[in-house]
Amino acid sequence: MKANRCINATVALLALTAMFTSNGARGQQPSTPAQAAPSTETAAPLVEPDAVAVLNKMGAYMRTLNAFSVRSETTIDEVTDDGMKLQFGGTVTMQVKRPNGFHAELSSDRKERQLFYDGKTVTLYGKRIGYYATAPAPATLRELGEVLDRKYGIRLALNDLFYWGTDESVAANIKEAAIIGPSRCGDAVCDHVAVRQEGVDWQVWIERGKSPLPRKLVITTTSEPSQPQYVATMQWNTAPKFEAATFRFSPPMGAHRIPLLDANAASAGK
Amino acid sequence: MRAQSPSKILIALAVAVLALSSGSGPVDAISRQVHGTTNTNVNRNFSSNSNINVNRNVDVNRNANVDVDVHAGYCCYHPVATAAAVTAAAVTTAAVMGSIVHSLPPACTVTVVNGFTYQNCGGTWYQPQYVGTSVQYVVVTAPR
Repeated sequence: MKANRCINATVALLALTAMFTSNGARGQQPSTPAQAAPSTETAAPLVEPDAVAVLNKMGAYMRTLNAFSVRSETTIDEVTDDGMKLQFGGTVTMQVKRPNGFHAELSSDRKERQLFYDGKTVTLYGKRIGYYATAPAPATLRELGEVLDRKYGIRLALNDLFYWGTDESVAANIKEAAIIGPSRCGDAVCDHVAVRQEGVDWQVWIERGKSPLPRKLVITTTSEPSQPQYVATMQWNTAPKFEAATFRFSPPMGAHRIPLLDANAASAGK
Repeated sequence: MRAQSPSKILIALAVAVLALSSGSGPVDAISRQVHGTTNTNVNRNFSSNSNINVNRNVDVNRNANVDVDVHAGYCCYHPVATAAAVTAAAVTTAAVMGSIVHSLPPACTVTVVNGFTYQNCGGTWYQPQYVGTSVQYVVVTAPR
């Protein structure tokens, strides 16, 4: 990544420190910014403060939304064991009402799934296949994201962008960050931001103006030789209308309940 | 990875059978082992070993049928491929208890025993479960 802007390292460090303290939602001690911006005295900062500021603004704005729906068109690469890269398409629609209402509908070339969360339980349902699994759930969406990921191996798209700026350890993972330039994103103009981390390069297109939302996301897995990518383009509705039933699952006729495997138990049994 | 061997055998046999039949019909399907390596989040991937996606099978066929779930799994949604896989399974005799497959043979009966869902496929019992968002079938002893 060419990030040779003429900002000296000290300014970068100051800006980063300011960013960490103003956004530190939990009052945790920020990890040393020196980690994020390597201290080569003469080099331009690899983590540009402008880029970090745009990312933080996005996260802060997203957290002001108490209800929204977002529809993502996605592609994901799968690599065969003999190195051939295959691309699969899909759509994910998420309906979110904070702090404890969530519904997602995923549809891809290979499966169709819905996720329901009402603050008490979480249900994974496959309409075509006719199976559903219900598990107890934590009280808030933020905790839900953690539980789904760590316990059940289910990742919520956009989850980490949503909490951008609230977890310093996450920001400390960034090795390089830069604003590449303006870019058209649907009906708007976006800032094209590129970020490099261990194992992943990612790019996000963030809308300019009053609603700095991510409109496109590309994640490149650089730890794989063939560098597979995940691409999502997003359409947002920040004034949605939800019914109470949106977040509650009632098993349709003919649906059968099955277990949702605890990923930790599964790996322990290996 | 524990789920690999039974399905690999199925795949190998399915491919063999299909290769034989491909000259005489429009069937053109190949099966591949893929691994889920693409990150879909930028930061969650380092915190935990969440690679619970055991190798999956992707069937490629030019008839472009995407209704995979109808046949309950990744593997072999092409009717011919399914048939081939089942034939292969029959040849290799009974499915091993505890083994995991990604799809069922045809003509299974759903049975609910003590609140748990099972599929009885010609005397072999499978218990479906979600692993992540994917369905797997574990071969179990007949529930009572």
